[in-house]
Amino acid sequence: MKGYKTFPIFLLILLLAIYWITPTCLGVDESEARSKISQAEQDLASAYTAVVEAELVGANVSGLKGKLDDAAELLAESHIAFRVGDYDNASVLAVQCGNSVNGIVDDARLLKTETEAAYGSRLFLTSALVSVGLSVLLILSLFGWRFLKEQYLKRVLRMKPEVRKAE
Amino acid sequence: MNLEDFKLLYVLSCIALGFIILSPTLAMVIKLPSGERFSELWILGSDHMAEDYPSNVKAQEVYKVYLGIGNHMGSLEYYRVYVKLRNQTEPVPSAVNGTPSTLEPLLEYRTFLSDNETWEKEILFSFEDVSFDGNISKISKLVINDCTFKIDKVAMWDEENHGFYYQLFFELWLYNATASGFQFHNRFVWIWLNVTESF
Repeated sequence: MKGYKTFPIFLLILLLAIYWITPTCLGVDESEARSKISQAEQDLASAYTAVVEAELVGANVSGLKGKLDDAAELLAESHIAFRVGDYDNASVLAVQCGNSVNGIVDDARLLKTETEAAYGSRLFLTSALVSVGLSVLLILSLFGWRFLKEQYLKRVLRMKPEVRKAE
Repeated sequence: MNLEDFKLLYVLSCIALGFIILSPTLAMVIKLPSGERFSELWILGSDHMAEDYPSNVKAQEVYKVYLGIGNHMGSLEYYRVYVKLRNQTEPVPSAVNGTPSTLEPLLEYRTFLSDNETWEKEILFSFEDVSFDGNISKISKLVINDCTFKIDKVAMWDEENHGFYYQLFFELWLYNATASGFQFHNRFVWIWLNVTESF
């Protein structure tokens, strides 16, 4: 008789255990997959923004672009899996996407800083050379003007008709 | 030429030479405006030409088109293409209002393109479980690049064009970093498909 009383309680505990354990062991539900996709979207967008900022200062971002492309493909596949109801696969692909963009933001920022520093030193060097060039031009033009003016006056004086006393 | 004219010519020559010396620095600092910014979206037939597009299609047969995107926006861009299927009565994108079709996409592609870079994808598609009942046709499944989509799309007989017409279309979306999301880029291409009975 005692067994009959404990059986429903055991059954209830078993059913509750199945309810709680099943999703974590066997699969991912819709909301979890949606949340992982959303996180992957944000990660990819942040990585893209960082890469564009690096590109704007003139950095060569072709290496980072390749990584972004791979991640974008995974995210698109994740969305497709989600639409057909394959939440497990959608979730796995979204996580893979997130992992593949890991570090891109830092790499892009580093690339941006390096490019800006290189640009700064190149600009300084060019400006210094240009300043020297302009100074030389200024000095040479002043001396040049004096020389040309003398030449011009000599030529004009040679062309001046001589005045002689009438005989 | 008098001395004043000669002096003026000399000063102008020196100024021109000064600008030539200054030009490397100016080139580094001044950014000249770029040309028109736009994106391309195209669809090509099976021979990679703008001809021989699939038109009269049968169930279980595989058809091929090429989808392409070109970036001329001046910087790295993040594109998304939605693949959708509609019948003649379902909403279509509007180029005038710049709005996409409200239909749910079946498939999507995403790519990052540098300035003046292009992207192309081979699209293989086929229809499965196609049925006809009087002046109604129904497609139950669409297979695109080995992905099967349950669609249950119905089309009425088109008296004018003599067929059951479905439109497979592709919408181009562009990521807007300011808005932190994709926006319809007002580019879409399509092919009309007359689904016929296979004998």
